[in-house]
Amino acid sequence: MTGRFTREDAIRWAPLMVLIALVILFTAINPNFFALRNFARIAVAAAPALMVAVGVTFIILMGSIDLSMEGALSFTAVLFCYAFVKFGGTLAAGGWVAIPLILLVGAAVGMLNGLIHVKLRIPSFMASLAMGFVATGATVLLTGGGIVKIDDDVFRGLLTHRLLGFPLMVYVAGFCLLVAAFIQTRTTLGRNFYAVGGGEELAHASGLNVKRVRVAGFTLAGVFYAVAAILQVAKLGQAESVTGANFMFISITSVVVGGVALWGGVGGVWNALVGVLIVNVINNGMVVIGLPDYVQDGMLGLLVIIAVVLSTDRRAVTVVK
Amino acid sequence: MYQLAKVDKKFPGVHALKAVDFQIGRGEIVGLVGENGAGKSTLMKVLYGAYQPDGGQITLDGRSVRFANPRAAMEQGIGMVFQEQSLIANLTVMENIFLGYEQQFVRFGVINWKAMAAAASAQLAKVKLTIDPATVTSALSFAQRQLVELAKVLTLEERVPGNLVILLDEPTSVLAEDEVNLLFKLVRELTSRASFIFVSHRMDEVMELSDRIYVMKDGAVVDVVTRGEKSVEQIQHKMVGRNVDKEYYREHRQQPFDASKEVVKLESVSLPGRINDISLTLHRGEVLCLVGTEGSGREAILRTIYGMRTPLAGKVTIKGQQITQFTPRNAVAQGVGYVPRERKVEGIVAGMNVYENMTLSQMGRHSSAGVLRIAGERALARDWISKLSIKASSELADCGNLSGGNQQKVVLAKWRSGGSDIMLLDHPTRGLDIGAKEDVYDMIRDMSEAGVGIVLVADTLEEAIGLSHSIIVIKDGAIQKRFDCTPGAKPSLFDLLHYMI
Amino acid sequence: MSTFIKDFIERETVSRRNFLLASAAGMGSMALPMAFGKGAAFAAENPALAWSYRDRASAYWNAVVSGGENFVESLGKTKADMTSLINEGSSEKSLADIKAFLAKNSGNCAIACDANDSPNARPVVEAVKAAGGYISTIWNKTDDLHPWDIGDNYVSHMTWSDEKPAEDTARLLFAAMGGKGGVVHLGGIPANNPAVERLNGLHNALKDFPEIELLDAQPADWDTTKAAELMASFITRYGDKITGVHCANDNIAYGVLEALKAEGIEGMPIVAYDGNPEAVQMVMDGKLLCTVFTNPYWGGGVSLALAYHAAIGTFKPSEEPNEHREFYGPTVMVTKDDAAAFKAKYMDSIPVYDWNDFWGPSNGGIVYK
Repeated sequence: MTGRFTREDAIRWAPLMVLIALVILFTAINPNFFALRNFARIAVAAAPALMVAVGVTFIILMGSIDLSMEGALSFTAVLFCYAFVKFGGTLAAGGWVAIPLILLVGAAVGMLNGLIHVKLRIPSFMASLAMGFVATGATVLLTGGGIVKIDDDVFRGLLTHRLLGFPLMVYVAGFCLLVAAFIQTRTTLGRNFYAVGGGEELAHASGLNVKRVRVAGFTLAGVFYAVAAILQVAKLGQAESVTGANFMFISITSVVVGGVALWGGVGGVWNALVGVLIVNVINNGMVVIGLPDYVQDGMLGLLVIIAVVLSTDRRAVTVVK
Repeated sequence: MYQLAKVDKKFPGVHALKAVDFQIGRGEIVGLVGENGAGKSTLMKVLYGAYQPDGGQITLDGRSVRFANPRAAMEQGIGMVFQEQSLIANLTVMENIFLGYEQQFVRFGVINWKAMAAAASAQLAKVKLTIDPATVTSALSFAQRQLVELAKVLTLEERVPGNLVILLDEPTSVLAEDEVNLLFKLVRELTSRASFIFVSHRMDEVMELSDRIYVMKDGAVVDVVTRGEKSVEQIQHKMVGRNVDKEYYREHRQQPFDASKEVVKLESVSLPGRINDISLTLHRGEVLCLVGTEGSGREAILRTIYGMRTPLAGKVTIKGQQITQFTPRNAVAQGVGYVPRERKVEGIVAGMNVYENMTLSQMGRHSSAGVLRIAGERALARDWISKLSIKASSELADCGNLSGGNQQKVVLAKWRSGGSDIMLLDHPTRGLDIGAKEDVYDMIRDMSEAGVGIVLVADTLEEAIGLSHSIIVIKDGAIQKRFDCTPGAKPSLFDLLHYMI
Repeated sequence: MSTFIKDFIERETVSRRNFLLASAAGMGSMALPMAFGKGAAFAAENPALAWSYRDRASAYWNAVVSGGENFVESLGKTKADMTSLINEGSSEKSLADIKAFLAKNSGNCAIACDANDSPNARPVVEAVKAAGGYISTIWNKTDDLHPWDIGDNYVSHMTWSDEKPAEDTARLLFAAMGGKGGVVHLGGIPANNPAVERLNGLHNALKDFPEIELLDAQPADWDTTKAAELMASFITRYGDKITGVHCANDNIAYGVLEALKAEGIEGMPIVAYDGNPEAVQMVMDGKLLCTVFTNPYWGGGVSLALAYHAAIGTFKPSEEPNEHREFYGPTVMVTKDDAAAFKAKYMDSIPVYDWNDFWGPSNGGIVYK
């Protein structure tokens, strides 16, 4: 006697439809858009943003918000460069040690973030924003406003070496996305995110340790921010205190555009993927079709509004019979 | 004058309305009854414009109409009084009444509050409510809010030519008896102004108020009964499709419990607030009912056993182990299950599917190193769906879309499938219809037979008497009296009331 | 966001400094009549020194303030004798801090200042004049505000014109392109003055190169990441037509280089701007054709020096010609030929400046259009 709106399904697939429509639109205006090389360019641009978006998706699924990504990304990126250089300066000479190290640092930053939020009972947006400030500040102290470079052709192979037309870093991001999808659907942790986001009271009343789930969520997000930092360094060969700039806007916009509800419990990492692709296809496509830059800013603003409209609509149709 | 002919509504996997014919005449009061999931809610939503039918015809005074949304229906004189009240608590009564229609009081961009207050008073007079229209809504009693809601719908009278049709969805579910009588008197008087469609789970009320009763089952109207034509039992028979058991509370299935095995023991427990010196013992297979008025402390005791509250003094022992750390996590680990009153808040996660809800409290059992064995979870869910005959298209169905009774079954299955042998039930039948209630009663007896100790806070006194092995009456946070409820020697309503008030 | 800790530490130090200064001023006012009683009638002795600026997190402002500190040290004082008035991007805070500083030191002040935005310059210099202090400004001021209209207390204003240097980088780029082909410009934040000037410079140079086509010019917001993504999009749109890249600053050039690296494109002629150490190294390595150095270190030092020397009466501003009151800061184009020498002079060691040579390295009087 119950059922779903077909409209609900339509809205669930709307982001993917939007993505396909955008690709068709841009291709129609400039056929150059539809080329493997260009898709590779979009993928390179999207890879770090995707990792940030995946991280924040877990947080948003829990109905919280994490605004620490810019600071966390800058901090881990700079630290990664220092560590990489310190351990030999090339991947072969021991620079690889920097990778697990920086994932741990990311986890630590995230965990601290979660602990501050949970233990001190500070709203997540405030705790994470403050944590982001602290991380950025620490980055400025580390670099003194300067730039740290990595000059290792093997590590930079993530950007320069291609497989089937796509740089290796795209495959790294793809693999991490699969890991995230596995965590989301196949682990108790992923299930817990949905439970906490769908009904925190209930999760508590079912005997879940909600606080621990939250801390775990922020820790996991921190790890993904660190992955994003490594990819960003692979992409640019350098890190500085502004390396993480703009990632807050891009990741949260992407997540919402992709169909993850900001109140929690709805969506997942695949939505984040579609959202990140939409944002990056728009960024790339607007230049490729030759839109004037002032129109580009307007388009991006429009995108945010559409995203909010779509997500509000989604709430309205989740009618319980 | 308002008529539905052969109206059909389908959702994926569910045929919610099957060629339903329905009509209501001027000044008539029509009742609508049926089990949960019989299609009442869907029919209501079609009636007030929230759903658009897939087939059939709707006519109003002979004209064919199609409502795009509830507002369109309102503009044709069809209004809805919601069960979950739609008044905004921090606005005043008059603001609520004219919410969205303030324009008539605006002069030069400013609201003329005096004019609005006068108009609001006129509306309130229709429902015989003498309160200041400038009162903030949250200051009103629940019954008063119900009347304000009705007054709000009655503003249609001024805005819409022709007759009104007003839908009342469970208007009495939280009203006291005298309040119910008042409401009914009012509704009868208002038939000069409007027709009413009345939906309730309380069969006696529907019988008392309605001129005609539509009986629904499985998405179809199975009978239309004129007042006095049939007895309550006959109608219930139609609704359920079977005889309502004389042994409604399954007393014949009540077995003596094993008094030698204590599972929960409270000794002189005191809680913050007014709850003092509570001592009680629950045994294997016992149904222990806590009886008292709202706020007497029944829920607080349940929540203490479940670890959601920490006592100031006294001892709580579960299965021989004294509890030192009061968290739900520990309680669950001890085999305690909790079915809360607020199903939507603490019972099920809407948006998660049936199997995810069922294994929520026992994910450790279905995972290794944090990785879930989803096939196992789904098999378990399928098993319980058939065991409890849960009406869901599959274990993948969204729990938020199930009817109340089926949601409750999912909650019970969640604990039972996890092997909980101490169950705390807070109003487990609230908001359920007869069929679903009987299912819950059967489940309680099943659990009792399986040796589960049950602490119950029942929806009605009859339910408490019928179901329990023992009753503890609580008043103002203190235990007044303990009754044994052996079949044949059960206390009467009066016995209990005597100690309650 | 980017400067939280730094600001915090800075602010703490400033307030501690202010406290020290205040107590020092208290003692000083007792000591002054005895020690310096005679000269005090004409010009201030030992004025309190301050630099008012946004914050120190960027390499640019760090260099400006370091220059100011070097000047203070050249007087035989310590860095702590110069107060940092950090406005955090707020004009209100800028003005309020300067007023407080003036009040604390009874107007006996020499201040160097970037007023944060143009309209704020007038109230700032008027406040300084009213208190009898001396001020030199850089960057922000409205076109109708001139030191000679205010008087001796508004000592000087220095700014940098990026149009001519950007034109020079463009000419160098076009020459490297063989005088023909397609060029793209990746700019700063739209409507930001330096961004506009640097693009104008490119347009000016284009007039003399009819066979060079400007394919596209879009903002990259001074940002490396954005520049990399924009360059990738340009490659999709224009492909092989791009034979040269004109960047509005060094950070953008880094992003462009990485975008080209991802495509396996090498040897594309690229010009940059700002003269950051990394960019200079890239010029030496042949990855960039050139960058432009604006010597913020000198600018920071000489601005404070001018205010100080006017305050103690070394020179009288109103007796100086207008091009000594309003002038352009230095711009040095760094190319492969002179990069090594430049690096040795400016990067590997900080050159010793004669802070009494106020106008030597400057670039002529300000011309309004």
